Amino acid sequence: MTVLDAKTTTSQKKPPSASAPRRRRTGTLSEKIGSDRFVYLLAAPVFVIILFFVVIPMAQTALFSTQGNGLASNYGTFFSGSSASALLLSVGISMASVVLCGILGTLLAVLLTRFEFPGRKALEVFALLPMALPPLIGAVSFVLLYSETGIVPRALHLWLGIPAASTSVTGIAGVLLVHTFTMYPFFYLSVSAGLAGLDSSLESAAANLGAGKIRIWATVLLPMLTPALVSGALLTFMISMASFTAPQLYNVQTLTMQIVSTRTSGAHELAAAQSTILSIVSILFLVSMRWYQGRRIHRSLSKGTQRDRAVSTGPVRYVAMIGSTVVSAVLLAPVLVIILVSFSIDSSWTTQVIPDQYTLQNYIRIFTDPRSLLPINVSVQMSLLATLAAALIGAAAAWIVARWKLGGKTVLDIAIMLPWALPGTVIGVNMVTAFNEPSPTNLGLTLVGTLWILPVAYFVRYVPLIFRSTGASLDQIDPSLEEAARNLGATPLRVLRTVTVPLIAKGILAGALLAFVDGVGEYVASVVIYPAGYVPMSVEIYNRIYSAEFGSAAAYGSLQIILILIVLIISNTLQRGRRTTKPRTTKSAALAAAPLS
Amino acid sequence: MRRRVFTSMVLATTATLALSACGLDAGSSATAGRETITIYTSRPKGITEGVVKKFEAANPAYKIQLLTLGAQEVADRVRAESGRPQADVWWGGTSQQFDQGAAAGLLEAFPTDVVDRVPEKYRGKDNLWLAEQRLAEIIAYNHDLLNPDQAPKDWDDLIKPEFKDKILIRDVAASGTMRSIFSSMIYRTFQTTGTPDEGYAWLKGLDANTKDYTANPTDLYLRIQRQEAPLTIWNLQDIMLQSKAGVPFTPVVPASGAPILLDGIGKVKNAPHSAGADKFAAFLLQEQTQQSLAEQNYQIPTVALSQEPEWLSTLNLKEMPVDWKTVGSKDAEWIGYWVQNIKNRG
Repeated sequence: MTVLDAKTTTSQKKPPSASAPRRRRTGTLSEKIGSDRFVYLLAAPVFVIILFFVVIPMAQTALFSTQGNGLASNYGTFFSGSSASALLLSVGISMASVVLCGILGTLLAVLLTRFEFPGRKALEVFALLPMALPPLIGAVSFVLLYSETGIVPRALHLWLGIPAASTSVTGIAGVLLVHTFTMYPFFYLSVSAGLAGLDSSLESAAANLGAGKIRIWATVLLPMLTPALVSGALLTFMISMASFTAPQLYNVQTLTMQIVSTRTSGAHELAAAQSTILSIVSILFLVSMRWYQGRRIHRSLSKGTQRDRAVSTGPVRYVAMIGSTVVSAVLLAPVLVIILVSFSIDSSWTTQVIPDQYTLQNYIRIFTDPRSLLPINVSVQMSLLATLAAALIGAAAAWIVARWKLGGKTVLDIAIMLPWALPGTVIGVNMVTAFNEPSPTNLGLTLVGTLWILPVAYFVRYVPLIFRSTGASLDQIDPSLEEAARNLGATPLRVLRTVTVPLIAKGILAGALLAFVDGVGEYVASVVIYPAGYVPMSVEIYNRIYSAEFGSAAAYGSLQIILILIVLIISNTLQRGRRTTKPRTTKSAALAAAPLS
Repeated sequence: MRRRVFTSMVLATTATLALSACGLDAGSSATAGRETITIYTSRPKGITEGVVKKFEAANPAYKIQLLTLGAQEVADRVRAESGRPQADVWWGGTSQQFDQGAAAGLLEAFPTDVVDRVPEKYRGKDNLWLAEQRLAEIIAYNHDLLNPDQAPKDWDDLIKPEFKDKILIRDVAASGTMRSIFSSMIYRTFQTTGTPDEGYAWLKGLDANTKDYTANPTDLYLRIQRQEAPLTIWNLQDIMLQSKAGVPFTPVVPASGAPILLDGIGKVKNAPHSAGADKFAAFLLQEQTQQSLAEQNYQIPTVALSQEPEWLSTLNLKEMPVDWKTVGSKDAEWIGYWVQNIKNRG
């Protein structure tokens, strides 16, 4: 029997005193590096890339923020006035977004991986739909749905006579609505990956020992899901801090709104200071999450096995059916609105609940213009290239950080996560400033004006996604699995290929999916950097909105949705294949861990 | 096994797609032998593409590449690329944005024959930028909701109690246009009293009547069209273009006059195709081009036209005198105060 089949689990709680880690640090440097030379060998190129493309450009922004009126004056604005209240508002909204997305994402993940009910398969597809929402139009669709003149309040008014103003969603509630329904996939995907990596024998053991359902969830399942929840919380918090479209649409003066108005007024150094503060807040959140996760380590020594879904029966069945229909409808609504608008005649939709005049003209206009397919081509290829590079570097970096034994682990983590904490415009401007003319800091590499700047910017932006989701999967695996394989004589590369990568593949895939989808819809950074002649898709959508062709913008948005759906379906097929062959892969993984003859 | 085949197929296709960059040569064959002028613009596509088409027909040696961005993004891009400029022409932006650009050393003057087409009062400092058109800032209403008698006639009507929650405004701080309008409202009293206080009080009254601030112009058009509120303040050209496109907008030129902003064009310093940029500006600022822009796109040119377009003569546009230099120097302070103390508090 191999280690993998033994299904042992260590659920170790570190003692409050830091004696355990300190013991580790007492060895000499060579002793510590010794067995893990491979980690450090791989680390060097990965971190050179991150230093070069991420850290140095960001440091330049921080440096710039000390110029202009000076350090004290620029940062002094945070102690009084609008910068301070904008900062508080941003932090408050981000915290609330984390809680709301956490609840929705985790519930959906648990529901869909653990229970069988009518409508589950459909809901499984719809759960990923918000990822397909293009930015800009995506946010606008929430306004079209839930604002005072939106479909829902108007329909309620028509049917029930409730005044539309009392059912409309505005202000901070609106921002939270958009955040919740567009960002919960960060939780949903990482928790799903986490649940898939769980061993159901743990639960059975707990149940045999007499634990009730609630107790099992509180003491076994949720603690094992900590890395997934932390990963979801981090991504959600940072992206909410950097969120701009939703606060703009609902007119909420967050820090990102403040940065834009500061730029508009011409105070570029102050804007740099505000961006720096924004990233510092996100970094603080990152550090506190690391600290929280570090206090409790729950790892499994086994490869996860899919538990059979609990089948709902009797009246529960109908409740589940109605529930999943409602949730599906809510998730589907923003996408449907965009498709609906894409068939409507511009300016015809005024006081009706839904548009009453339809046309195919918006699509005809796109398909008859030969140039209109180029943006789709640009976006797909550039984000594909960036996603592949980010998957490679992000996964490698996650593995390195997880197995890193020397100091400075948190610094590495921060360096990688930085780009996720910054608003897209700042990233764009950073990239242009850093790779504009040959200089010592960019080693003479100029990217501005070439097609390469797009994938490089997407790469920088999306490495954190893959890093996080891979890291969450890695944290669930006990390193002794790798050590066992090494002891059995496998080379480091072979261990990586046959033990580590198969165990974290789902995490990498989840991150890559998020990265690709986000890349296809990226607007704020793209608009500052895209080279002449290569318009990314969302920039094209913006241009059409701006020239008042709302219908054809929505048609473009619909094409974007279809494209993203195709990607989602392909990746779902990949995963479903994985699931059906589960019993076999368990065996083959166990066999593969055996030494070669 | 089937899964493995599928996976490797997907991976292979992905890798090929990602590395081949197929179809991304952006029509390089079409540009052979022609010099490409790159223009960063914040003007609507409908206007820019028309001008470009005519320019290329008249100057077959040149091809134009248009990048349409928001006005602030154009400014950001030009600034970020200053070490190695990519753009030749910066087309569209408020005088404040161009002044900032000029002060940061991002612009250089067009040759005298181009500069001379624009009257002196419509030029930036050292002729570093030229105003192409004059944007009148006016009141507009949805004529499905209000009839001409009910609609406000002047700025001060907007703060009357009868218009409570009847106004939607494009959010101010991030919009060059809205900043200028609000600043000129303050300037109305500032020019005599020397303090912005009356202006602040007026804006507070406006805020009380403002139902909401919208994220962008499109959001503004959509929400007025969908009858959330009947009134707004915006620029005449966009209102006329929207109305031509079927949106039920009617413009009102305020009785006391409309502040008129300048919308500019400039040549990027060290532009890679400087001669081409000059050619384009000369073409854009010739009377014939401006005449057709005025007639078809409701533009009020800065260059003298021999014949005023009909829509403009019927409108009786009266200018509100504003000293844009003073306003420009106070803008950050005034709008900062508005964001902190007035917005959503009236």
